[in-house]
Amino acid sequence: MSGRFEPGRRVAIVGYAHSQVERHPDRTLGITTIDTVRAAIADAGLDVSRIDGFVTAALFPTAGDHARADGVTSVSANWLAQHLGVDPSYVAGFNGMGQIPGGVAIAANAVAAGAADYVVFHRALHNPRARYHGSATTEFGGAQQWTAPAGFFGPVAMIALAYNEYRQRYGATDEAMAEVCVEARKNGSRIPWSYWHDRPSSVEEYLSAPMVVDPIRRLDCDLPVEGVAAFVLTTEDRARHLPHQPVFVAGYASAMPTRHRVPMHWPLDDIMAAGSGLAERLWRHSGVGIGDVDLPQVYDGFSPFVYFWMEALGLCPVGEAHRVVEEGGIDSDDPTALPVLSGGGAIGNGRMHGIPQMLECYLQLAGRAGDRQRERASVAIACHSSPHLGGAVVYRADG
Amino acid sequence: MSDRPVPVPDEVTAPFWEAARRHELTVARCTACEARVVAPGSVCPECGTTEPAFRFDPVSGNGTLRSWAVVRQSFLPGFEVPFVLVDVELDEQVDLRMIGRLLDGVAAIDEPGLSVGTPVRVAFEDVAVDVAVPAFVLADGTDRTRP
Repeated sequence: MSGRFEPGRRVAIVGYAHSQVERHPDRTLGITTIDTVRAAIADAGLDVSRIDGFVTAALFPTAGDHARADGVTSVSANWLAQHLGVDPSYVAGFNGMGQIPGGVAIAANAVAAGAADYVVFHRALHNPRARYHGSATTEFGGAQQWTAPAGFFGPVAMIALAYNEYRQRYGATDEAMAEVCVEARKNGSRIPWSYWHDRPSSVEEYLSAPMVVDPIRRLDCDLPVEGVAAFVLTTEDRARHLPHQPVFVAGYASAMPTRHRVPMHWPLDDIMAAGSGLAERLWRHSGVGIGDVDLPQVYDGFSPFVYFWMEALGLCPVGEAHRVVEEGGIDSDDPTALPVLSGGGAIGNGRMHGIPQMLECYLQLAGRAGDRQRERASVAIACHSSPHLGGAVVYRADG
Repeated sequence: MSDRPVPVPDEVTAPFWEAARRHELTVARCTACEARVVAPGSVCPECGTTEPAFRFDPVSGNGTLRSWAVVRQSFLPGFEVPFVLVDVELDEQVDLRMIGRLLDGVAAIDEPGLSVGTPVRVAFEDVAVDVAVPAFVLADGTDRTRP
């Protein structure tokens, strides 16, 4: 990569919509997606017929045994375009990890390249009725022959080993992580469509939550939900004719490569080494440094990611994130603190992947956060997944 | 014997599981660069050769703990919970890491206590006829695997 994202002020988000986040809605995911996307297009002041690009990341992120069906357990960009009845010039799907930054990068590139004038980027997440990650598989070939027969299976054990490494190395406590989860739920409780709307948590609730795989408690994990979010992207000149203040995609970066390991083995050193590489590329691509960022939104699908991202981005020294948290340093109501979970994150909204982070960047930078509007919000980062596998996008406010 | 999932060996990995059946731990070695690789694929992760022709050489089975976790909810059939998973660095090569069950039980986390660097050695669980899966025990000489 040569460096700077050249179209850094030419691709803008111009509208959005978000469905209610529910455990098991009556309607299929495809129907919710169509309605949410139509609402996003209307929010952008556009007619559906103007949309000529569709991008998503359709991964159904489960380790469990579930039948897959497009329009039900996931919604591809092709399915969406077909069911909206439009004739797009560009349709693409992101297949890697860090689905939100990956998809935003594809959408922004498509706009910048003129592949499409107006691109809808959506993310639709399904919640199966059976156990999300449960499997009845009794034979494992391929890479999983090295892990599943030994009982190492699924993402909770994966993050538990990495988090225990962090705890052993830096002395992080349960009480510090309680503050992370309480902060996410506090902010999520203020989001109207959040599953946890009006339902903040407490340190006591966190500390009494059952362990799933020690040291990961149930409340360290985002809750599987069903929900859809959609955004409309276009060029700056087109954005000038639309109702909302544009928010620019200033640059992005993804992680990798990581060391060869058995599947889902995430040593802390791997996470942080690849994470610091990601951060360097992010600064180069976006032309901003961490000191310019007034709205960092870190990913929290499992709560330890909050520490990993804070440290990888350089918001605090490596090994210090848990202390920053313990000292009240991520309280979004304190103007001097780092508002890393001001959008509620995945823990405060439900398993919407990196959507809460992206949406908080958009709402705050567009001046559309309502009662939650922050005074200073000009440069924002939305992170997703782990710093060694996912990605991040830098957004800039207009002006 | 148990209802635990079993490995399905393939052309490359068959020698590993054959040695495991005899309770012998082996690790793949790239014949081009001699690097040891846990979970070998089609390309050597060290030298990049697409013809690694991995061979499985015996290792000591000794290593040290890098991390651990207590599984209280198994997402697979056949495992009694709780059990301990350990992330082990094998002695033979820096950062050569395997994950397996620690057969000393959950109580060992507090007594004698686990820490990063605690020595362990390989042990094997016979999970089906002619199928054994590597695991670990603390290398302090105390057998905690029998009730």
